[in-house]
Amino acid sequence: MPRPSASIHELTWAAVAPTAPAAWNTITAELANPTSTVTKPAVTADTDRSRAKDTRPLYSTGHARRRAWAGIGYTPGVRAYLLSRLGQTVLVVFLSLTAVFFLMRLGGDPVLLFLPMDIQAKDLTEFRQRLGFNDPVAVQYGRFIGRAIGGDFGESLRYKQDALGLVLERLPATLYLAVAALGLTFLVAVPVGVLSAVRRGSLFDFFGMGAAVLGQAVPGFWLGLMLIYLFSVKLGWLPTGGTGSARHFVMPCVVLASFYAARMARLTRSSVLDTLNEEFVLTARAKGLAEWVVIAKHALKNSAIPIVTLAGLDTGQLLGGAVITETIFAWPGLGRLTVQALLNRDFPVVLAAVFIFSVTYTLINLVVDLLYGWLDPRTRARAHA
Amino acid sequence: MTRFTTLLTALAVLFGLAASAPAQDRARAKEVVVAFAAEPRTLLPNTIVDWTTNSQIEHIYDRLVDRDPKTYKPMPMLATGWKIVNDTTWEFALRQGVKFHNGEPFNAQSVKATMDYIKDPANKTHYLPRWSQVKEIQIVNDYTVRFITEKPWPGLLDRISESTDFLPMPPRALKDQGPQALLAKPVGTGPFKFVQWVRDERLVLERNPDYWQGAPELNRVTFRYIPEFSARLSALLAGEIDIMKDVPPHAVEMVDRSGKGKVRATVSSRINYLALVNLKPGPLQDVRVRKAIGHSVNVDELIQQVLKGRASKMCGPLSPLNVDYTPGIECLKHDLSRAQALFKEAGVDPTKLQLTLDTPSGRYPLDKDISLAIAAQLQRVGIKTNVVVNEWGTHLDKIKNRTTGDMFYLGWGPALSAQNTIEQLFQASQTYSSYGGNKVIDAKIAQAVTIVDPKKRLEAWADLQRVVQDEAPWVFLWQQHDLYGVASWVEWNPRADEKVWMYEAKLAR
Amino acid sequence: MRTFIGRHGRGVLGLIIAALVVVAAVAAPLLVAQDPLRSDFTVGLKPPGTPGHPLGTDQLGRDLLARVLYGARVALFIGLCCVLLTAVVGGLAGLVAGYYEGWLGAVVMRVADVQLSFPFILLALTINAIVGLGLRNIIVSLSVAGWVVYARVVRGEVLSVKEREFVHAARALGLGRARLLLRHILPNVAPSIVIVGSLQFAQFIVAEAAISFLGFGVQPPTPAWGSMLSESRDYLYVAWWLAAFPGAALAVTALGINLVGDWLRDVLDPKFRV
Repeated sequence: MPRPSASIHELTWAAVAPTAPAAWNTITAELANPTSTVTKPAVTADTDRSRAKDTRPLYSTGHARRRAWAGIGYTPGVRAYLLSRLGQTVLVVFLSLTAVFFLMRLGGDPVLLFLPMDIQAKDLTEFRQRLGFNDPVAVQYGRFIGRAIGGDFGESLRYKQDALGLVLERLPATLYLAVAALGLTFLVAVPVGVLSAVRRGSLFDFFGMGAAVLGQAVPGFWLGLMLIYLFSVKLGWLPTGGTGSARHFVMPCVVLASFYAARMARLTRSSVLDTLNEEFVLTARAKGLAEWVVIAKHALKNSAIPIVTLAGLDTGQLLGGAVITETIFAWPGLGRLTVQALLNRDFPVVLAAVFIFSVTYTLINLVVDLLYGWLDPRTRARAHA
Repeated sequence: MTRFTTLLTALAVLFGLAASAPAQDRARAKEVVVAFAAEPRTLLPNTIVDWTTNSQIEHIYDRLVDRDPKTYKPMPMLATGWKIVNDTTWEFALRQGVKFHNGEPFNAQSVKATMDYIKDPANKTHYLPRWSQVKEIQIVNDYTVRFITEKPWPGLLDRISESTDFLPMPPRALKDQGPQALLAKPVGTGPFKFVQWVRDERLVLERNPDYWQGAPELNRVTFRYIPEFSARLSALLAGEIDIMKDVPPHAVEMVDRSGKGKVRATVSSRINYLALVNLKPGPLQDVRVRKAIGHSVNVDELIQQVLKGRASKMCGPLSPLNVDYTPGIECLKHDLSRAQALFKEAGVDPTKLQLTLDTPSGRYPLDKDISLAIAAQLQRVGIKTNVVVNEWGTHLDKIKNRTTGDMFYLGWGPALSAQNTIEQLFQASQTYSSYGGNKVIDAKIAQAVTIVDPKKRLEAWADLQRVVQDEAPWVFLWQQHDLYGVASWVEWNPRADEKVWMYEAKLAR
Repeated sequence: MRTFIGRHGRGVLGLIIAALVVVAAVAAPLLVAQDPLRSDFTVGLKPPGTPGHPLGTDQLGRDLLARVLYGARVALFIGLCCVLLTAVVGGLAGLVAGYYEGWLGAVVMRVADVQLSFPFILLALTINAIVGLGLRNIIVSLSVAGWVVYARVVRGEVLSVKEREFVHAARALGLGRARLLLRHILPNVAPSIVIVGSLQFAQFIVAEAAISFLGFGVQPPTPAWGSMLSESRDYLYVAWWLAAFPGAALAVTALGINLVGDWLRDVLDPKFRV
């Protein structure tokens, strides 16, 4: 049976994250683009993500200003790259909004849902008229895009309040939770993954990865409700939900982290395993460096790329995807608002939320891709092997 | 080592800080925490028709006319008396010496300003259609107003006392600062003053010592929003909240045993029913088939086994709590042989019948389970029922677009007047009706709503009750029981009109 | 022996679990006499150990053991359908995008990007809000939300395989594009698809639970672990068994399948072949 030619990373990667690093996609797109000013590396267009883009300056003239900028990595190549990424962001945001706009229209009549049940037919029509729902869809779309460019996503149908304002109000709470959950994830997943990789095949590996798989297998809401029952009702140690103190963060973070940490631990393990067999690690070992130095200084930094990318993607997912956790723990977050808006067919709020998600997602991707440039030593070491 | 202990201490302090006050502290401070599933959609009164929203707004704003908590008949509140001057004029006498929270006096100006707010299309209030029959408000003097209507509207009193259909707002604040200012800082005449609204988290109100009825016993009311039902129940059991709605029947015993609180129940004015759709061609257009189905469903068994007795059976379209109710309607008995006979008479073979039942899930007590149970009961006469569970929005959509199956489950309430029940649910022109096309009923309804004389009105509605019941448009089910979990230190009883009003809450002695 | 357990222990355990689940699904009618759909209100909410109901009954009096066993069928069905759909659609998309680079590939990847910017669960929810509830619609929404993985992986694979010598040789021999894709590139890409599929299988089963939690679950009275778990929320304090047994079944199944996937990947990884 033919062996998979993709590295172990990509497979683990693809499986444990329902998403994949945008960098692959960007890099190959860049390289395929004949007008790109980015230097094409001497190796073939391989998707091995270790061959990250070479951002060394194109020009080696004596131009002082360019050299100054180049000193911090900001070169014409990078500038063009950033601009193209910005363009891509706008495109993705625009496409997302359009897709959701038309999708939601397919979902049914929104006006009915937020009006009282004793409404008369003619009043219903009047409401639809006043809110602009009687116009043809193309007109509604045009109006929406026109206003959205100016930042006006309309008024929430349910709350009679500015939709974008509502979404932005909820964003901080979700951000705090996402950051805290990610922190816990890193704290738990990376050590477990590294140790499992280093002691591959051992009992620790067995139980560690077993726990990781279990973490992904147990539905979040079930875990959350069990925790509430134990720690709030029976023991009274932690509050059942809401915000207000550090204690309120504990259970939601644990529930969120259980899933993301599981994924990250598995990915860390395979990533480190891959790295541990690379040449430079053997070199470092041959140099007589202590084992932990080898692992921490050399192996870890290089296995960091997929971990960082996964973290970036998870942040994006956490913004809107922590719905279940937010619902169970009464956390006033963006995910919950979006789900409610979806179920209530509150179009303006859904569209405003989608806008925030796309922007955040692409921004995070950009940050991650830039981080690649920094986490680059492997490429520099092997550049033209 | 010292660093470790410092860390431990720091953690201990962090964890100790800002703990939610346990129930005993709250009892001492006379602060009650009420948990709702959702936050208010707005804090502006007279704007959005939504039970959760208005239940909270009602603590800050008063009604013009309230309902008596026992008889549910209209009772004076900010209006002290009323009379009909002529066919198109109602006159209300207003209470004197009442002040808004910002010091403004309550008087006829307030009533007029409120109606202007409602009728202004720019405000897009849901109440505009409800008040469309009112042409204008005339100020007779500072404490007397007249509602002038286009056509005779004897139901105006019902409308104004129905629930939160008319909550007077401060006229000067409305004029000088506009509605947005009132949204940010609500100002009413009610028993509690606005303190703080943390979106989607809590609403905090404090006692109004100058309340015209006498200051409330509680110092503070906090509304918390916990969307997940089991989390709400956990919060009640953990002593974090004091009042929650909709404890399911099977959990009642457990709450009572927990020691943290008791379940207090009330028969609600909200009715649940199984609509038998006659608006589209099918076997259900034959009244005999509908009656046969009514005979096949064992309502008592449903109440006993699924709801554990927590429902009050109904025989007709109106419940005893409805002001226009007339007793004396006979229930359709659970009688399988009669059902079979009726099927035969209609020429329908029940074993070949395949019906679809649309139901929401979680909107009414055990709605999905009841629908499944009804399907199982219909199976006993051989009818195969396909139960389709809808998300609430889809359910409403289907009903409005007449794309539901042959039957659907729905509730209606607070159903306190016949006009808001029968007129809305048995005519083809109405949005949520399942039945229509009966010219006799249409004519009788059109006639009944214009009768001014109360005795004649009652007779007209009684007649309609009988006629509607004869047509078997629904399998008449029950009035739901509202089960509230109430903490042991709070003395509060729920009301059938679903008004959750902390003014009525006291410390348990 | 120890190395065997270390290297293959997890896989064997996973295979055993998976086999048990398949047996439960297939042989459910033989293993339990009760009908999972039959409701009998008089025995509602009975605890485990009641005669005739070893795992207890749910709120409508249906036997829990029967529902858990029949639920295995639904779980496996969902997992299988979703994996097949996503593999086929995503695989094709990836093949096309990888092989025919240029605007077609770019379009596919842009669509994937747009879809990825939307959180997974919200996407599934939006689709369900449009197409409705039910088993078939859950499969649709999960598949639509999940095809992107395959597209990316396959595309990456295709891009690298494309440069290999035997492909160049085949092209030089004048082999048509379609044949090239099907007969040469696809077999090399297949193992990745298989591995990703095995790991996604369990994710889909767990995702069904998440969707049911939000109210878009499988229609009653069909027993599905996810919707059973979701319904059990209301009865958490009075009937713990309604959450415990379906939850355990779900977790164990997902565990088993994940272990198998992990093992497959370990075994197929060229780097660790001695």
